[in-house]
Amino acid sequence: MRRTALRLIVPVLLLAAWQLLASGSATAPRPSSVVEAAVALVRDGDLLAGLATSLGRVFAGFAVAALLAIPLGIAMGSMPAVERNLDPLVETFRPIAALAILPLVILWLGSGSGAAIAIVAYAAFFPILINTISGVKRIEPSLMRAALTMGLTPLTRMRVVLLPAALPSILVGMRIGLGIAWTAIIAAELAVGAKSGSSGGIGQMMFVFYAYSIDLNGMVVCMIAVGIVAFALDRALRWALAVTVPWSRI
Amino acid sequence: MSAPKIRLEAVSKSFDASVVVEKLSLDVRDGEFLAIVGPSGCGKTTVLNMLAGLEKPSSGAMTLNGRPIEGPGAERGVMFQDYALFPWRTVRGNVEFGLVYGPAGQALSPAQRAERVERTIEMVGLKGSQDKYPHQLSGGMRQRVALARLMASEPEILLMDEPLAALDAQTRVILQDELLRIWGQDRPASERRTVVFITHAIDEAVFLADRVAVLSSHPGRLKQIVDIDLPRPRGDETRRSGAFARLSQSIWELIREEAYRATMN
Repeated sequence: MRRTALRLIVPVLLLAAWQLLASGSATAPRPSSVVEAAVALVRDGDLLAGLATSLGRVFAGFAVAALLAIPLGIAMGSMPAVERNLDPLVETFRPIAALAILPLVILWLGSGSGAAIAIVAYAAFFPILINTISGVKRIEPSLMRAALTMGLTPLTRMRVVLLPAALPSILVGMRIGLGIAWTAIIAAELAVGAKSGSSGGIGQMMFVFYAYSIDLNGMVVCMIAVGIVAFALDRALRWALAVTVPWSRI
Repeated sequence: MSAPKIRLEAVSKSFDASVVVEKLSLDVRDGEFLAIVGPSGCGKTTVLNMLAGLEKPSSGAMTLNGRPIEGPGAERGVMFQDYALFPWRTVRGNVEFGLVYGPAGQALSPAQRAERVERTIEMVGLKGSQDKYPHQLSGGMRQRVALARLMASEPEILLMDEPLAALDAQTRVILQDELLRIWGQDRPASERRTVVFITHAIDEAVFLADRVAVLSSHPGRLKQIVDIDLPRPRGDETRRSGAFARLSQSIWELIREEAYRATMN
């Protein structure tokens, strides 16, 4: 009880300061008006529909990224020849922000879900790949040797030693990747939102509030919603980490 | 005398320019407990890794039951210095590992397998800890898990690389006794498994082994093989005996000079 109350001090003070500062301006969004906007947006379903669209794209793109990055990371981490060949390529593309490839993606895939998923996949790919590689490389050599001396076949060794040994790292990469994917989808939808006829998502909703209805309260609602979803995603993955790899202290 | 279980003939091993093991010839008899001692740098771990098939000799021949050793095999079980337990598997998960995923358990039904796993866990004194993870165990208990994992697969030959090195003195003494019990010092020699045991502790080698192979260092060469004729079963009385002290002393004298040199450098 007391703890909860103490935790609320900072948020309440921030809200009070916001209300105080905003009351001097006619256009600035105030907490009270933001709450009203939020209630309206939730009631007519727009907010949840926008979030659902964006989340769907994130999960689809994230799945594509994981399906590509994990096998590739295992190959690069366990076979030096593969790593030598691919590492320069990876390190050249990695610093290129997801948004920087947006023009190309729009040209090729249009401005619908396909493009959004591609952006998300690109953004989430690298953290998963890098962490998978390092996870595989950091496996205690004696674990693989122990499996060798017990006569396991190469495929079994990969399945029951390499994969679980690298799993904590892979999951950390997925957690980082999912966070980046969520950031990327909002940015991509904001940018794509400029094109007419593009389809939904919370980022595009923000763009509409900004460019057409000039509804600052709505924008703030969207921002808060984006933050809450990011927080929930991170907590969910942390929980998944704690449940699936209880032996690891990551 | 029967043919040797393992035979090393002029086995040498070099890494890059440095010779680690030079022209080592050694027979390991069926059912014997052979300890290999020597100062650091004598290549004893390398010898064990070659026996396990994890490293190839640069020259020379190694045979097991008359056939050349060409790689790892489930008939040679290894206990590693760092135990190499799988941190994501429980005690039971580690002990059953070789039976479930390797060839050792192929002939067993799931029920037989489970029965053997439980029996082995009990034998090393880990009953009640089956569902714990390695990180929840003390060093001594982890060592027991590694021993149980090795024993559960019932390999013909047990290769052990300084398995007791990381333990405190009391735990070590207790586990030395248990190791001999599990190896079968109370049973007739024909029912014992063959053990090659690497250690840097001379007293440990003398206490455990039938024979002690003393290596010299830089490069590792066989200096002498010392027969340990202390009666079995051995225990605390053995440790207090004059014969035990004399044997330990004579082996110490064989490697003293090099041990000092290694320490001073």
